[in-house]
Amino acid sequence: MNMTTRLTWNDEKRLRKLFGNVSLSLLYKSSVHGSGVTDMVQHCSHQGSTITMIYLHHVIIGVFMLGNYPRLWERFEEPHYSFFFPFRSKDNITEMHTFPLNMAPQATDNQLTYYLSAEKVFCLCPHNKTLYLHENVIKSLGLFQRRAPDRYEYLECEVFRVEGVKANLSYMKRIMNVTQHRNRLLEELRAYKLYADWVSKVHILLLGPVGSGKSSFFNSVKSVFHGRVTRQAIVGSDITSITEQYRTYSVKDGISGKSLPFMLCDSMGLDETEGEGLCVDDIPPILKGSIPDRYQFNPHKPITPQHSDFIAFPSLKDGIHCVAYVLDINSINNLSSKMVAKFKQIHKEVLNCGMAHVVLLTKVKNYNEVLQDNFLNMKQSMTSQSQVRNVNNMLGIPIHNILMVENYASEFELDPVKDILILSALKQMLRAADDFLEDVPLEETGNLVPFCPS
Amino acid sequence: MEVTTGLTWLQEKLLQNYFGGKKFSLLYKASVHGFSGVELFRKCCQEAPTMSVIYSRDYVMGVYAQKSYDEIDKCSIILFVLQDTNISKCEMSLQTAWKSGIIWSCQGKLSINLETKDVKMASNIIETLGLPKNDPISIQEYEVFRCEDLLDKRKIQGITMDRESLLSTMRTYKPYGDLVPQVRILLLGPIGAGKSSFFNSVKSVFRGHVTCQALVGSDTSGISKKYRTYSIKDERDGNFLPFILCDTLGLGEKEEGLYTEDVVCILKGHISDRYQFDSMKPITSGHQNYIGYPLVKDRIHCVAFVFDANSVERLSPEIVVKIKSIRREVIKCGIVHVALLTHVDSMNLITKGDLIETDRCVPIKLKREAVQRKFGFALSDILVVSNYTSEWELDPVKDVLILSALRQMVWAADDFLEDLPPKERGSDVQRRK
Repeated sequence: MNMTTRLTWNDEKRLRKLFGNVSLSLLYKSSVHGSGVTDMVQHCSHQGSTITMIYLHHVIIGVFMLGNYPRLWERFEEPHYSFFFPFRSKDNITEMHTFPLNMAPQATDNQLTYYLSAEKVFCLCPHNKTLYLHENVIKSLGLFQRRAPDRYEYLECEVFRVEGVKANLSYMKRIMNVTQHRNRLLEELRAYKLYADWVSKVHILLLGPVGSGKSSFFNSVKSVFHGRVTRQAIVGSDITSITEQYRTYSVKDGISGKSLPFMLCDSMGLDETEGEGLCVDDIPPILKGSIPDRYQFNPHKPITPQHSDFIAFPSLKDGIHCVAYVLDINSINNLSSKMVAKFKQIHKEVLNCGMAHVVLLTKVKNYNEVLQDNFLNMKQSMTSQSQVRNVNNMLGIPIHNILMVENYASEFELDPVKDILILSALKQMLRAADDFLEDVPLEETGNLVPFCPS
Repeated sequence: MEVTTGLTWLQEKLLQNYFGGKKFSLLYKASVHGFSGVELFRKCCQEAPTMSVIYSRDYVMGVYAQKSYDEIDKCSIILFVLQDTNISKCEMSLQTAWKSGIIWSCQGKLSINLETKDVKMASNIIETLGLPKNDPISIQEYEVFRCEDLLDKRKIQGITMDRESLLSTMRTYKPYGDLVPQVRILLLGPIGAGKSSFFNSVKSVFRGHVTCQALVGSDTSGISKKYRTYSIKDERDGNFLPFILCDTLGLGEKEEGLYTEDVVCILKGHISDRYQFDSMKPITSGHQNYIGYPLVKDRIHCVAFVFDANSVERLSPEIVVKIKSIRREVIKCGIVHVALLTHVDSMNLITKGDLIETDRCVPIKLKREAVQRKFGFALSDILVVSNYTSEWELDPVKDVLILSALRQMVWAADDFLEDLPPKERGSDVQRRK
């Protein structure tokens, strides 16, 4: 008796990852349990969500079924959701082509059948190991280039219970669409054209308390474009700020691609104590672009025009175009009055300079819940949280510019949902910067070369 | 209702280890599928071996059977009880009954009835299992699992493929921008943490069998007293691999071990191979091993803080302070760092099957979290390996852990090189011309 899946170990891991790092338990295998629908149904019914894997010669057809497998002759009254997907033994399949359905299959003595508007779209006949697929399904799943037969002989059929899945439609839509949306966002940002063509890069300043995740956000952005978790900005926790220098990071598209049209500027963390963390008086020079990359901050003494590193006449394109206040979402409701006062003081400077500004909330543990099913907007349940309202009240920043991410700080592999949050936040920052740059008076845009009094 | 087991991770782990490194797949759960022998039979026929678990108020008990429910007529089984972390067992011959809800029975010694939800046992069995006498045993839940080997041929094949892929990746790796011919990875950690052992393990992976170039010991004086920069030859073509592992004196409390000043010199590339550390004073610029004007290739490009997974939580406060202090120096030099936990295979409850998916192993996860709390490393920077200590031949499971950690280190080095100030990069190129 060989009750082991036909999948290779690496394919099993890929399949689990495709569904959001779930666990799989093999419930039924046709060569062990018998080639009848009755055999299949008795093992698989009432086990929760399942994936049925049908092994054709060159491709596996998968059926994800949300909710219970049907029993023989069972008719479901309420909607029942499934989708078909192809699964191949290839590396780096980044998108899942799917064919969704909103009704349950029917299990009869010798067939498991899906109908769509009374037309048969999928039919599994275990007794003679054949699978029928409607031509629209074949097309949707991207199977076979030429006109293909609609009936296939299969080698094996296995059914897995999926554990770690929420049994609701939102979750299923997310699984189907997450990678496509991530890739679309990635392409959008790669091709992003700044509104103001006299600026080649948007400078985004990350400001926030020690340990709020500023440097982690840069690492996460870079990780998304690099395709692996990176650690260029050093992160971790310590008594004081790990970051003590001003850094302006460029991000490449891929390991050796061209630079993307934004820079992330990282500064020393804010501390509520006077003489610790970033000097508030260092902020105006940062905003104007007077502080160069790698300037070593001094918590006790801000930079002065006499400093050898001071850039006396920065051009507008060298300055900051968007400020992102970075806050740990878990500590917002406990911010001390001193820290709040410091933020307000800083915010006043930002408003005086007219810069675009957003808030970036980090360490959002339930990051899977931030966005709507189509990933286009934040969910009401997230935007109505007390943390969001507190920030909205504290700084007067509109809610659509209060962004949420979960940085890459605890795992070694990328997660498309986190990627979407990171890329969406970046997109909002670029849009905010566009609004700022659009509003710049014409006479200032001509100031492309630093003014040299002589 | 989601069909998941009621076993805690610890209960599951104890049972997994007890029955020989098994993985349990839940097939039947009475509260979902019904307290019905018919349903149990449907879900569990042609499944073997199985473990049936009965949840009572104060403990978990169960039946481990080599044969499937539909094949059992009369066979030997293991009846076990799990209380806290102790497992007691009783082997006996049982038969399936399928009468009036009784699914297991043995000549008046034992009967398990699913429909009446009770278990009856003879007093000698109760005594053997260490259960309280005269207590009625009621079934609150009944679950049946299929038992599979955590590590089977299919998985070994997958791991072996991973190993070949990683070996190829590391052999063909080129440091970022070709700025240096080899990246330098400095191993820093307390005495006995496994630094030299890790180097030996890396070399063994590329050699093809276990080798021992760096001397390894765990006596308090620490055997590694010299600074060593180890290049490793690729056994396949004789070329040097594109990374160097740098090994130092272990960190000790108070005055023992490495000076912080020496660490800074190492990081900046001032110390050459085989420098003999002096416990009385750090290196000076007049020393023959001192490199006055190091190039980028002489510097350290990644630091790995090495800790023994079993003793890291018991490090003294003095050592912890010292490590944190050194870490701040590493950060000042702009060098990217990781933490490396060694000897995870000898952690409590860990079996070899756990090493193939360390991110899903709860004891390893808890250990990484403990290291994060103690030192402040980011979780994604805490790597785990199992060094070669007593073996003669290689094991693909260990190889994959070692190579995966090494890949993270060279990626970290790339991140460092990418972030080098342009003037440092340019001046190096200038000096080479």
